[in-house]
Amino acid sequence: MQKLATFVKRACYVTAFLATSTVMSAAISPARAQVAISTWGFNMDLINEHITDTFVEQFNTEILYDLGNNADRLTRLQLRSDSPEISVVELAPTFAIRAMREGLIEPIDTSRLENYNTLYDWAQDPLTGNYGVGFTVYSYGIVYRTDMVDEPITSWQDLWRDDLAGRVSLPNVTTTQGLATIIMASRAWGGDAENPDVGFEQLAELSDDVVTFYARSSELVSLFQQGEVWAAPVLRFAWGQLLDTDLPLAWVAPEEGSVGFVNTISIISGAPNTDSAYDYIDHRLSQDVQTALALDIVDSPVRSDVTVPAELAEQLTYGEAEIDNLIFLDYNYLLDVESDWIERWNEEIAR
Amino acid sequence: MPRWAWSLVIPATAVLVLAFVLPLSLLFASSFFAEGSFTWASYTDFLSSSASRRAYFRTVRIATLVTLAAIALGYPAAYAISRITMRWRVVLIALVILPLMTNPVARTFSWLVILGREGLINNLLTALGAQSVRLLYTEGAMIVGLLHLFIPLMMLPLISAFENIPQDVVPAAQSLGASQAQIFVRVLIPLTIEGLTIGATLVFTGCVTAYVTPAILGGSRRLMLSTLLHQRASTMLDWSGATVVAVVMFATTLVAITIIRRVFGVFRSPLGLS
Repeated sequence: MQKLATFVKRACYVTAFLATSTVMSAAISPARAQVAISTWGFNMDLINEHITDTFVEQFNTEILYDLGNNADRLTRLQLRSDSPEISVVELAPTFAIRAMREGLIEPIDTSRLENYNTLYDWAQDPLTGNYGVGFTVYSYGIVYRTDMVDEPITSWQDLWRDDLAGRVSLPNVTTTQGLATIIMASRAWGGDAENPDVGFEQLAELSDDVVTFYARSSELVSLFQQGEVWAAPVLRFAWGQLLDTDLPLAWVAPEEGSVGFVNTISIISGAPNTDSAYDYIDHRLSQDVQTALALDIVDSPVRSDVTVPAELAEQLTYGEAEIDNLIFLDYNYLLDVESDWIERWNEEIAR
Repeated sequence: MPRWAWSLVIPATAVLVLAFVLPLSLLFASSFFAEGSFTWASYTDFLSSSASRRAYFRTVRIATLVTLAAIALGYPAAYAISRITMRWRVVLIALVILPLMTNPVARTFSWLVILGREGLINNLLTALGAQSVRLLYTEGAMIVGLLHLFIPLMMLPLISAFENIPQDVVPAAQSLGASQAQIFVRVLIPLTIEGLTIGATLVFTGCVTAYVTPAILGGSRRLMLSTLLHQRASTMLDWSGATVVAVVMFATTLVAITIIRRVFGVFRSPLGLS
């Protein structure tokens, strides 16, 4: 009993101490405005250096982050849609379009963004209706082992070659690039996004020779490392990770064209502190931030006035030739067909 | 037992009700409602999709095979362990428990090293002049991985069941003229049936609900119910579809437990006398 009393007494002291110190520190530091941003959380140290710290300096506003993958963060936004605490959300386009349809994000007044007109055309309104602005771009190409594959791969069609049978991995249909895979397979064999039948047929034929359908780029990296896979379609942002394996790999921009994906930044419907939200978006699109993130291979820029040295450009979706080769998808159409295509993929291909 | 002793159950019950019974009931109820009205739709959707049916039958097939294999391998081993000297028994039981103490991700990754294209088996094959074969991302790989994962859960109850059989039961049966086969079927099996039932239940339900092993060794093309559930919930944000998978998993384990008890109940009557 004596011991318990001492413990309770100590606990009270500690609580009292913590309480006073919190109040004190709140009193000492000047009250700063805050804005909450929902984003992935990759490369957070670089994001903090190039975005968070410079934003506090320029706008005297602190950034709070809500981190997680697209699906988790979208679920949190749905749950808090009545009284959102987050002002800005960064999403992959397929998830952004979902957020738009569910009324979770609102149109952006682009006249409030100083940097808006300096963006590439395709980054200005990728979701249509100004629901989001593109802040980075990544292409969808093919990577292969140059030591194992004798005849260079130059096109999507090459993935069906006999010498690659059992050595190819494709993304799973539920990934960001899943539906684009169906579209590119269709284009390779004479169809297109509106006529995907030939793509489904060809993918069904290829299916037996596919090692596995990867769900994450990290999974693909280990498939290459283990010698399981020699060739696979890959999103550009995973290229750096693949190069780190020190395997002899080559990046191919396929003859059929590369799909360009634009990650978007949007304002939450009924968000608190929209002034800071606009400040943040403008900051994210500014030449300084876009250049700094490109130089550290975090994000490929969406404005043409960012200059990157040649050896770094190789790891980004960058440069006139590469940008001109990009094909941009109609995400509204993709969301319309998504559930049918996923079902059809599960029935005909992933069996 | 004094009456106040009942109050000791309250904390544990409260935790179970709050953290288990309540969410599970809510989950179950929510699977019947879409936009506020009662519907079977998510269940008929599940049944009409051939991908879900494939995942369901693959789950039941793999769980059954792994359970049978665990019995075939675990039963003789458990018998042997229960009959050796105490010192060795402690060492061997520790070895049985060891896989349970390693992280499931690490344990599963060790199979990648063995079964991979440049893994132990394929290197051996190519050294012998044969073609390398694809072993990973097959049902075979999933069965081997799950067997490795769950065989301790079969062996531990069996070892304790065998240890509880008095040493002189087998000699007694022999002295009364029982053949080796009769001793096995009418003495050993009835006396260890409780251990077998527990082991089979743990292994089967473990296989149905395991996620890491099927995800890594089977990949997204050999979907089991657990990996299908993950796909529905976290990539498609289809919560009602995911709930249906969870309910189906739960129902499958309940049915399996009943079947296991029935099947093994046949052997239950001691010494084959009813």
